[in-house]
Amino acid sequence: MAKEVFMPKLSSTMQVGTVLQWFKEEGDSVEVGEPLFEIMTDKINIEVESYEEGILLKRYYDVDDEAPVNAVVGYIGEVGEEVPNTPPEVAGEKAEEDESAEPSVNVITDSSNDTSLVEEVADENGGKVRATPAARRVARENDVSLSLVSGSGPRGRVHEQDVVMYIDRNKVIVTPLAEKIAKEYDVDLSQVTGSGSRGKIEKADVLAFIESQKAASSSVAPATGERVKLKGLRKAVADKMVESVRTIPHVTLTSDVDMTKVIEVRKALLPVIEGQTGYRLSYTEIIMKTVAHVLGNHPKVNASLVEDEIVYNNDVNIGLAVAVENGLIVPSVEKANQKGLAELTEVSKTLGAKARDNKLTPNEMKGSTFTISNLGMYAIDGFTPIINPPETAILGVGRIVEKPVVVDGSVEVRPMMVLSLSFDHRAIDGAPAAAFLTEVKESLEDPYSLLV
Amino acid sequence: MMREITYLEAVREAMSQEMRKNDDVFILGEDIGVYGGAFGVTRGMIEEFGPERVRNTPISEAGIAGAAVGSALTGMRPILELQFSDFITIALDQIVNQAAKIRYMYGGKGKVPMVVRTPSGSGTGAAAQHSQSLEAWVTHIPGLKVIQPSTAYDAKGLLKAAMDDDNPVIFYEHKLLYKTSSDVPEEQYSIPLGQADVKRKGTDVTVVATAIMVHRALEAAAELEKEGISIEVIDPRTLVPLDEETIVKSVSKTGRVVVVHEAVKRGGYGGEIASMIAESEAFDYLDAPIKRLGGAPSPVPYHPELEKAHAPQVPDIIKAIKETLNKA
Repeated sequence: MAKEVFMPKLSSTMQVGTVLQWFKEEGDSVEVGEPLFEIMTDKINIEVESYEEGILLKRYYDVDDEAPVNAVVGYIGEVGEEVPNTPPEVAGEKAEEDESAEPSVNVITDSSNDTSLVEEVADENGGKVRATPAARRVARENDVSLSLVSGSGPRGRVHEQDVVMYIDRNKVIVTPLAEKIAKEYDVDLSQVTGSGSRGKIEKADVLAFIESQKAASSSVAPATGERVKLKGLRKAVADKMVESVRTIPHVTLTSDVDMTKVIEVRKALLPVIEGQTGYRLSYTEIIMKTVAHVLGNHPKVNASLVEDEIVYNNDVNIGLAVAVENGLIVPSVEKANQKGLAELTEVSKTLGAKARDNKLTPNEMKGSTFTISNLGMYAIDGFTPIINPPETAILGVGRIVEKPVVVDGSVEVRPMMVLSLSFDHRAIDGAPAAAFLTEVKESLEDPYSLLV
Repeated sequence: MMREITYLEAVREAMSQEMRKNDDVFILGEDIGVYGGAFGVTRGMIEEFGPERVRNTPISEAGIAGAAVGSALTGMRPILELQFSDFITIALDQIVNQAAKIRYMYGGKGKVPMVVRTPSGSGTGAAAQHSQSLEAWVTHIPGLKVIQPSTAYDAKGLLKAAMDDDNPVIFYEHKLLYKTSSDVPEEQYSIPLGQADVKRKGTDVTVVATAIMVHRALEAAAELEKEGISIEVIDPRTLVPLDEETIVKSVSKTGRVVVVHEAVKRGGYGGEIASMIAESEAFDYLDAPIKRLGGAPSPVPYHPELEKAHAPQVPDIIKAIKETLNKA
């Protein structure tokens, strides 16, 4: 019997995957463990290996097509076996329950169920509108499609009153003359706002509508330039940013840090760590080390907000924002507070390189409890970083630049850096966030305190 | 001429007035003589009519029912009293297999004009064997008419109609209603069987209630009126024949219906009423699922609080009404 090839679910947030390329044509033979196709999720690109041996009988999705998680993207079987011409329905529930229907691909899968998807599918399969007999009668008498009416009853049941209100709302009252003009100019009367009594549409309303349509069409200049569809990683970044900004009340605090001693520390340790690991210690790792250490004293800032619960995380996992070609990826440095600078340097550099090469595994991108975004290589001082949910805070790092500062009553030139801490005001208040940032500043200005 | 008398007095008056007029009518049952019957309904009657027409019987419901069927076939019009409607089990062979069928099986050559009067319902602390509401059993038998009056006025008029009927009629008297009173005419009058009574007019939800539940539904309606919810309370009064038209008309108007009786909900007559509505032209006017309220599926408990919890009470009716309005 032919076996399904499923779109794997690679993370708890993954809803769809985009097919980047197929390594096999229909009719090619496939071995277990052979790469079958490559997909792009909201986080990574990954090759999907076959879990079955046989002939690739069918491919349902072309390159650049999006397929929902658990969708059947193809079949593997024996020559001559019949497979459906169109992909079967996404059997979300079935795939979870039936062992034989396990994804026939060898990839790391996340066991967490995406229940919302399952429910949606179930609803679609039902397809029927929940409505009372009375609602159906009124809808029938008035030629209204019940699927357009939103129900006020339990589980969205449509009642008579809902249909009556729908009809009332959508009723177009129009004068005969206005109707005639509308017909002549092909105007959809439901778009026209009536100025008469009870919203009656009059001749002037239709004419005004026609004028406004003309004006609108002439004012929209055709956009020039290359158009790129928002998809893949770009779309994932876009969605995540909008979600974060829309749901999280952001507050950003800034503080100037005197980096004199950090520079000394880096100078002293650079050759040591380079000798040990082959990687050059950068300020990012020293800041990461400091932040991870201070987070240990500030569990409120190392928290996640999941639905209605604040989770005070046991581990301090630092997310590191990495710019890649078409977006932004945040690999996670696990238990950063327990790692020394040499290890942190090695891990950060490795993760950064993997991120830029699109080689991160899903595990390397999850679990971060706090994110650091460093724009210090540019001429940037402070900025307002956007929180990476479900985390509740993010630290923006600016450049180190020499500035005149007042030290003990006299003006001195010091290497200064601005830290920008954005926090989620639902979970964290101003005072604890300020206390955290102050301790980070003090620790950086006196890095030896980290040894205590 | 109207005056206020109790339900119990109304039942007695209906029998006495008919017995004064019609020598064929007589009553029989356990302890209905000097003792006046289990609830005192026949008190004083033996003094007026004598032991020939107010006949004390042995403790045998089968015997009482059999004697009634036999005398009815010879042209008498017996009224028999069963002390508690629970004991109808003993009399059912005579009622179901004889009384209900003889007129039919003999092509109308004989008829069985008898009335079975029997108290039913819980609320008196009489425990599981003396508290049941078993009316659904007899509604299932073609050939029997079934009456459940809820007021003194209805009791008198319906009992007159039952006595006038040439077929066996089961007349259920709710124990808790005996002491309730209402305006009742002194003279004889008849309420036709199969005519429901709209006990309260309303526009939002129809409540079809029987016996004691009529009063609880009216209480619930008065409460809900304060919240601007208008309830129509319909008392079918006779279960067989059932006045379908009045119910269907009301439900078509309100679009929502709660059926409430004291009998255990499972297999209760509310199921029949609900089905009738669903099959009727009122279906297209239903704007919420039909709701039934009935007794819990357990014997009636011998404990005052649990006994109350067994049967629908006013707050239960209010809740059910609000549920059909999506306001619960």
